[in-house]
Amino acid sequence: MQRNLTYVGIFLTLVLLQVFLFDNIALSVYFHPLIYIAFIIILPLDMRPVWVLLLSALLGLTVDMATGQAGLNVMSTTAVGFMRTAIVGLICGRSMGFDDTIPSLHRFTTKNLVGYVVAMVVVHSAIYFFMESLSMMHILHTLLRLVISDIVAVFVVWYIVRLIIERVLKN
Amino acid sequence: MYKLIEFLRRIYIVVLFLVIESVALYCYAHSTYHTQAKILARANSVVGGAQSVLYGIRHYFTLSSENRALATRVAQLESELQYYREAGAIERENQEAFAQIDSVLMEGLVQYRYMSARVIANTVHHRNNFITLNRGAMHGVTPNMGVITPEGNMVGYVAACSDRYSVVVSLLNMDFSTSGKVVGDDHNYVGSISWNGSSPYKVDMTELSKYADVEVGDEVVGSGASHYFPAGVNIRIGYVDAVRENENHTSYDVVVRLAADLSRLDNVILVENFDYNEVSGLEESVASGQYLLGEETN
Repeated sequence: MQRNLTYVGIFLTLVLLQVFLFDNIALSVYFHPLIYIAFIIILPLDMRPVWVLLLSALLGLTVDMATGQAGLNVMSTTAVGFMRTAIVGLICGRSMGFDDTIPSLHRFTTKNLVGYVVAMVVVHSAIYFFMESLSMMHILHTLLRLVISDIVAVFVVWYIVRLIIERVLKN
Repeated sequence: MYKLIEFLRRIYIVVLFLVIESVALYCYAHSTYHTQAKILARANSVVGGAQSVLYGIRHYFTLSSENRALATRVAQLESELQYYREAGAIERENQEAFAQIDSVLMEGLVQYRYMSARVIANTVHHRNNFITLNRGAMHGVTPNMGVITPEGNMVGYVAACSDRYSVVVSLLNMDFSTSGKVVGDDHNYVGSISWNGSSPYKVDMTELSKYADVEVGDEVVGSGASHYFPAGVNIRIGYVDAVRENENHTSYDVVVRLAADLSRLDNVILVENFDYNEVSGLEESVASGQYLLGEETN
């Protein structure tokens, strides 16, 4: 119960951070870090896939409603939630990680955790940005957005994931 | 039957995933920037208060530069006021003639109403960008009001509003287009203004006649054909940054550097055209051929 409340708190905090902070930094059209994906990253690895999928969809829907998008975030978060098991298996090996309740730094090596975070962030934002542009005409522009936004997003998400794993979920 | 249930049990995650994706894709594919603005307006009735508080904190740090801009604006308006005072002295001689004008008629002549608002949320990094203002229906804001900066630069128009907030479709919205012309072009050729999604400081003006007099640095203003903005007033869009012929060499494609920095908007002016619905309705009826049907029945 305590852990569920913690996850609810993390969910709300990440959505608020995205909507009120990162969506309001009007630096450039190329700067749009999508950091709320950290929630799907830190979900317990042994959680039933159906719950991961539903929570991913709920996360996307919440951000969609708060930012005026009509399904874009649901598409990208649900896809990442669906692919999460495959991504972890690809990076850490099938036997790794799934017997743990959270992506623990003891079970995950730092290298694996970095790979996991990078893969999740890149897959999510690639789906988001390409679906948003819906055109191959501006593919270079979309790729540039992807690279710049992802560099920032990976650092922020990495910091958030470390903070949550070491400080919040450990207690 | 058992095998079917077992099969579905094995693939229900994939089915659920496909269902969620299909619904999301359907909603996204059928959404226009108007529906997005409406969703945002509805969301603002919940999160708008928090946006206002955050805006207040950010605004505090820009007060000094805003004061400088206001002082400059006051000085400019003072000089304009002086001009009108002098003109007014001459016109007072014709006061008797003015007194005979029916006040009801004067009221009918007023076509535009202006009001100020503050930007509380603004994006420049989406394909379709929106601006949220701290004025809504209860303050007299209605959809289709034009939005300009205090300096008279074009910003966009109101697409949706809740009671206390309104959402503006900005020039940095790939689904928004308007028409513009080059100041100094004697032929008054008009081009189509739209944003290609790359730079928040530049928009494209396409289909400008090859016979137009256009040079780098020329001022580009609204054509006056848009009903969002006051007719007869040059609403500045920006300045010509580059000019080249299109692929077919039939017209110019012009890159326009925006006069307003839309990523740093603070105060804006809302313009209501009282005749908007009447004119738009008339144009729509002509476009759909309804006016012909009306004539036939008469």
